Amino acid sequence: MRKIGWFEAVLIVLPIFLTGALLAAIISLFLVPTLAEIWESLLSEEMLFSLKLTMWTSSLSTALVFMVAVPTGYSLSRINFWGKSMVKAIIDLPIAFPELVLGLCLLLLFGNPVLQNFFGRLGFDFVFTKQGIVLAQFFTALPYAVRIIKSTFDYIPPRLEFVSRSLGYSMFETFLKVSLPLAKSGLLAATIIAFARSIGTFGTVLILAGGSYMQTEILPITLYLNISYGNMPMAITSGIILVIVSFIAILIFEKSEASI
Amino acid sequence: MSYLSVENLSINLGEFALKSLNLELDQGDYATIIGPTGSGKSILLECIIGFFTPEKGSIILEGRDIVNDLPEKRGIGIVYQDYALLPHLTVFQNIAYGLRKIKKNIIKGKVEDIAASLKIEHLLNRKPGTLSGGEQQRTALARSLVVNPRLLLMDEPFSALDPGTRKEIRQLLCDVIDKKCTTVIHVTHDMKDLWALADKAAILRQGKIIQCGAVRDVFERPVNKFVADFVGASFWEASVDAKSNGITNLKLGDFNIFSKDNAAQGEIVKVAVRPEEILLYNAPPDNLNGDNLFKTRVEKIKCEGDVWAVSVKIGDTKLLVNSTRNMMSGLYPKPGDTLYARIDTDHVRIVR
Ligand SMILES: Nc1ncnc2c1ncn2[C@@H]1O[C@H](COP(=O)(O)OP(=O)(O)OP(=O)(O)O)[C@@H](O)[C@H]1O
Ligand SMILES: [Mg+2]
Repeated sequence: MRKIGWFEAVLIVLPIFLTGALLAAIISLFLVPTLAEIWESLLSEEMLFSLKLTMWTSSLSTALVFMVAVPTGYSLSRINFWGKSMVKAIIDLPIAFPELVLGLCLLLLFGNPVLQNFFGRLGFDFVFTKQGIVLAQFFTALPYAVRIIKSTFDYIPPRLEFVSRSLGYSMFETFLKVSLPLAKSGLLAATIIAFARSIGTFGTVLILAGGSYMQTEILPITLYLNISYGNMPMAITSGIILVIVSFIAILIFEKSEASI
Repeated sequence: MSYLSVENLSINLGEFALKSLNLELDQGDYATIIGPTGSGKSILLECIIGFFTPEKGSIILEGRDIVNDLPEKRGIGIVYQDYALLPHLTVFQNIAYGLRKIKKNIIKGKVEDIAASLKIEHLLNRKPGTLSGGEQQRTALARSLVVNPRLLLMDEPFSALDPGTRKEIRQLLCDVIDKKCTTVIHVTHDMKDLWALADKAAILRQGKIIQCGAVRDVFERPVNKFVADFVGASFWEASVDAKSNGITNLKLGDFNIFSKDNAAQGEIVKVAVRPEEILLYNAPPDNLNGDNLFKTRVEKIKCEGDVWAVSVKIGDTKLLVNSTRNMMSGLYPKPGDTLYARIDTDHVRIVR
């Protein structure tokens, strides 16, 4: 057998060990409750409510993220404007921010009477409401999507767009005919990550929308509430659903990454 | 009024600047721009097409200043070294990309025509990723030619191709351009492009055009030492000693050289000689017919495939000679040998 040095050995053993630990933790989630308990929790009124609310808030926030992140990512990739690096840093901030702090900031902003009044007249209310969930998910997921979309556009040679424009297509037409189709897999990846991130948003939702039972209760909140009541099967079932959804998302993400 | 005139074009990019650049082309001209790397050739093209905005100056195309027009309104085509084909479209769709607001069957006819003249008609259903470099470049050429651009810009279009493919595409391009009478600006490092395709050549150095004229003129009458080196000519300063019978006698260091070109006595002039217009002999030939003849010492000999580059010295003055294999085979010179260099008085050119 070929000899291997200690560093190479570490490089092989470490990721295997890490993956093993992580896998064990995830599997234990599936081992604790009985199948009957999981089934019962899954069909409980609370779980069905939470599942439904999670799905539609996450879908809505993902759609909003997509609509905002595509032009933003394109702008950051292609256009030079004054203060661009500042803008980039601020958009990225929520990635490093604790979710709770982001939630608090949003609460203070949208709970401000003047703003609340203004949005109220437009029919919006974000504080302790389902709309608040979408807003919280939106700001939490946005930076991830913007990052992926920006780097996707970075990979498309600007020359392709130049040629398109020299052949009579405006900047917007070129965006539709050249940039978007070539960014397809990156856009898919960004959407999936945004969706996975939205589903998992906890801290931001808890602070802005409040984690109230059967009101603003999405899956992570269900997990949290049921742990505090000591209802383990319910908590674990929401955990399992979250894991499965994220796993599917990551699988699709890896696939679309590979095809970029 | 020229078809295209670039006037006082200036742009400052910090380390690099185009300095009040001027360029004029007539309709149907095929102009090449040559110059060392980093001299601003690509930037000049990007200014003309509109991806760089110059700080000063105008670009007048068919009598109208287009310097503030959007790129898509200029009707100027561009071909890059790396083809820039749209990977998600087929060859047909790539070529048809610029044909808009035209009936489907007319588009089909136009695409098939241009594809046939560039010999890519069998590739129309393929994706660019599956084509060879030469096929991709022919597709890119078809795409920009099919719309009949008012002006076609090419930035080293053949640099990524092997010599054989280059030659073939050059010929195809030449035929299409002749037929369509397209006005072209072609940036290149390959002198073969100049001879095969161009009417005019412009030499760019550090953001300035230092000579622009007919290709032959630039090669035969370089305006300064830099251009002479670039096009491979020998170049000296000389003073006019005497004139008689239409022959100008020029004093050049420690020897004299005769030229048919005119100059006033006492004038200080520049003299250029092309290396391929010099003949080398082992012994002085009998029948000189009034040509210049110099006794030279061989400094260096290099075979460059089809030609021999021989560097000789007349006294202390260096002279470059390009000779064919045939002509060299009788001589077998070695460094240090004595050879006689013969230059027709027609080929000693006085440059102003
Ligand atoms: N966006 C830019 N900002 C600042 N400097 C630039 C920019 N683009 C190019 N330059 C500089 O301008 C100079 C001219 O560049 P250009 O690409 O026109 O050279 P070129 O003549 O086409 O060279 P080559 O033969 O290598 O293609 C170079 O020194 C380059 O570094
Ligand atoms: Mg260049």
